[in-house]
Amino acid sequence: MNRKLVIVGGGAGGASAAAEAKRRDPSLDVTMLEGGEFVSYAA
Amino acid sequence: MPYYIGDVIKDSKKLIARTPEKFEETGIQVKLNTRVEGIGVDEGIVLLAGGERIPYDVLVLATGAVPTLPNIPGTDLDGVFVLKNLRDGLNIKEYIKSNQCSKATIVGAGFIAMEMGEALKSRGLDTRIVYRGELPVKKWDPAFSTVVLEELTNNGVTFMAHQSPVAVERGAQTRLSLVTDKEKIDTDIIIFALGVKPETNLAREAGLAVGESGAIRVDSSQRTSREEIFSAGDCCESYHRVSKRWVHIPLGDIANKQGRVAGRNIGGYPLTFLGVVGAQSFKVFGLEVAMTGLDEREAQRSGYAPAGTIIWGRSAAASMGEGHRLGLKLIADKASGKLLGAQAVGQSGAVGRINTLSACLWSGMGLDELGYLDLAYSPPFGGSWDIIHTAAHVLKKQL
Repeated sequence: MNRKLVIVGGGAGGASAAAEAKRRDPSLDVTMLEGGEFVSYAA
Repeated sequence: MPYYIGDVIKDSKKLIARTPEKFEETGIQVKLNTRVEGIGVDEGIVLLAGGERIPYDVLVLATGAVPTLPNIPGTDLDGVFVLKNLRDGLNIKEYIKSNQCSKATIVGAGFIAMEMGEALKSRGLDTRIVYRGELPVKKWDPAFSTVVLEELTNNGVTFMAHQSPVAVERGAQTRLSLVTDKEKIDTDIIIFALGVKPETNLAREAGLAVGESGAIRVDSSQRTSREEIFSAGDCCESYHRVSKRWVHIPLGDIANKQGRVAGRNIGGYPLTFLGVVGAQSFKVFGLEVAMTGLDEREAQRSGYAPAGTIIWGRSAAASMGEGHRLGLKLIADKASGKLLGAQAVGQSGAVGRINTLSACLWSGMGLDELGYLDLAYSPPFGGSWDIIHTAAHVLKKQL
């Protein structure tokens, strides 16, 4: 079983964490949950 | 986002760094419009609004911040906005267009209010800023806030000081009216720009430690008080290298760094986030406004004995007869002579100076070093003694 990473929130912090974790450990099973309709946007 | 509303950025797609499709391509599953109801820390599950349970081994809380709305009637009316996420930005722009708005009112006077003031005015709206205090951007020295106020006024934005909103109502001639403790302001759109608070409900319910700042407590690897839960962005604290305290500074550049550090630690390539010095800037019409470090009040609270001085110079050498008026304030500790903070305002050269001084703060420099710092001198960009040198010498004499 691969390690499961769940990210709550897809803004700058969450999106950066998701992308970097997956880049460093491609075996991670990553799910990003976002309450709105956009992720990784500039405020 | 204010630049999208002001039409400087025309395409909202430019505001998105990475689309959900891009994430999916790299093997990251993205679930949009998905609200998280709770976290079961003992079982390691995230509970979704629909009842679905998602198991995790490692969790990142990046819940962001929520904009402050005053507790007054009418804030739920059509045409009342906050500016927090991309949806708000899209809605504001669409609302202005489809309702042919001609009058705008912004409540609050921080940097978002300034950027929105410029954005709405340059879209041709008659724009007012309503604020309970005397001057805009109160984090800056009143001498600099006065320059910001002049810039607003010179560009046709009305600044209405010493007024607090008491209600929003439907208008007669205009779509809305903002009732304050002084008068009734006709307006088509109202934007509340009163700052944000860290969103910590999930964290608190999960029993995670929350710091004095009200944001989620993390260590320098972005770990919360639970080993398997990390946090990044506007919901968590960052370490302030000058005050040596954990603070809440909700800014996108900090969120990016914290997120990447969390990601590295989760991915097995440990990295520590070395903290912040409080650098920030904004532009309002033709003016650059920037600051870094602590102001006198914060310095005092952090146990320093601060002294400050303001120097007015120009952004280019006097011999060039060019450049713009540039104000620089330095704050240093009387006991150690160390730099504690800096603020600057001017049509050019302000942000560059503050970036330099941020690096100085980062490395803990004192005024003696600042006074002889090797800077990139050239007459179009400053004097052979830069305003940084001059301010350091002047302040040194006052310590």
